[in-house]
Amino acid sequence: MNNGVANTHWDSEHSPTRRPIANEFGRTVSRVAVAQICEGVGFESFRSSALDSLADIAVRYLCDIGKASTSYANLAGRTECNVFDIITALEDVGNFQGFMGASEVGDCIASSGMLRETIEYVDISEEIPFAYPLPWFPVYRERRLIPSFSQMDETPPADHIPYWLPALPDPHTYKQTPTWNERKSKQQTDNLEQVRQRRKVERSLLNLQQRLAIFGPAGAATSSFATNESVRGIQSVQGNPFVDPPLQAGEKDVPAFNMSDMVKGPGKDNDISVFKMFGPAVEAVRDQFSDDADKDVNDESKALPFKGHAIHFKFKSSKKVLGHSMDLGLLNRHMEKPVSGRVPGDERDEKKRRAEYILRQSMENPQELTQM
Amino acid sequence: MNYQHPQPQPPQQSGEGKHDDDAAVTEFLASLLEYTPTIPDELVEHYLGKSGFQCPDVRLIRLVAVATQKFVAEVASDALQHCKARQASIVKDKGNKQQKVSALYCSLLTSII
Repeated sequence: MNNGVANTHWDSEHSPTRRPIANEFGRTVSRVAVAQICEGVGFESFRSSALDSLADIAVRYLCDIGKASTSYANLAGRTECNVFDIITALEDVGNFQGFMGASEVGDCIASSGMLRETIEYVDISEEIPFAYPLPWFPVYRERRLIPSFSQMDETPPADHIPYWLPALPDPHTYKQTPTWNERKSKQQTDNLEQVRQRRKVERSLLNLQQRLAIFGPAGAATSSFATNESVRGIQSVQGNPFVDPPLQAGEKDVPAFNMSDMVKGPGKDNDISVFKMFGPAVEAVRDQFSDDADKDVNDESKALPFKGHAIHFKFKSSKKVLGHSMDLGLLNRHMEKPVSGRVPGDERDEKKRRAEYILRQSMENPQELTQM
Repeated sequence: MNYQHPQPQPPQQSGEGKHDDDAAVTEFLASLLEYTPTIPDELVEHYLGKSGFQCPDVRLIRLVAVATQKFVAEVASDALQHCKARQASIVKDKGNKQQKVSALYCSLLTSII
């Protein structure tokens, strides 16, 4: 009974590319059950084809009983079957050998020979439970239905379409609709941002290289983030003042410092005003500095009037925030500190610090914001 | 369950007979709950459902399963007898095997149908 299988060869079950037969699970289970029954009867081995045939016969028998008993129940005007329906069906389908009392019509069904034989069988035969635990089958899956027009809160496009039908597919599934290209522009800005950041990195790298080339090993000290001005000043003490690393603004305090110097103006170094501001902070290293020569190497950019209007000479867009230390408060009051160099890397940290720096500035000196 | 007594009852059968039969049936159905037929309930329900059999009662399912099991057992025992008869006639030194299946089955099936 291989109705659904294209390949009717005897080993069709064992070929790897076999098409699944309908009710395959049920058939397999019935094969196992029938094999168990035969084993109980006394068989020791089976041919698979014979087993298949017997299993098919058993299934057919089962279906016949069902059909017959259903028809008897329907005949009596019921939809659910009775024990009597089953007994009558059994008598109908019956054994091929017949049973006792089959010829007697009108007997009580309860005393049916068939039933008696069945009872005897149950009493006589030993109980052989089925070998495997079975799940309930067939397994029903939840079908995901296409939502109807009413479920999607859509109105049908035309009058002739009722609202309870499944909704029509969205237009973007079958034709080209204008796309929302915000994503594209964002990508462009992202690229620009990336390029800008790369340029910054390159610039700072170049700067570092230049410093290293100019100042040698001592130059490395100036480009390190963590050093503050006083520390740098300390480092330069040991070396020759003429080859000392250039001083940042406010790094060095000039001992002979007074207002009159500044007022005298351009003759003097412009950074004296800055030094005045940093007086208390760099007092500790003041005595160690004896040389003003290096003062104005880097400080041209910091030409500031005493008053404290910060003229920002920024030759870089980013500011060096990490270098700020205890002098920060004094610095912020009067000037912007341009960034002369930056160790590459940590751009995100740098951005964060920059943001903090800006915040601090805005809090401490609102004037400077206008000049930024 | 719906116990419907059939109308035409022979006068020979007295009430006690009826009761005996009924008692036997009920007793049998009760015993079915302990007895586990070899054919599993799920399989039986599946195929009965395919043919329109509608019953929530487990005992009836078991009854059908037992009836089918009896049927299969009878077929198998007949086949075994055939097989043994052939072996006795052929006198081969082989174990108890089911051989020449198709021939056996044809004979059996013709007798069934």
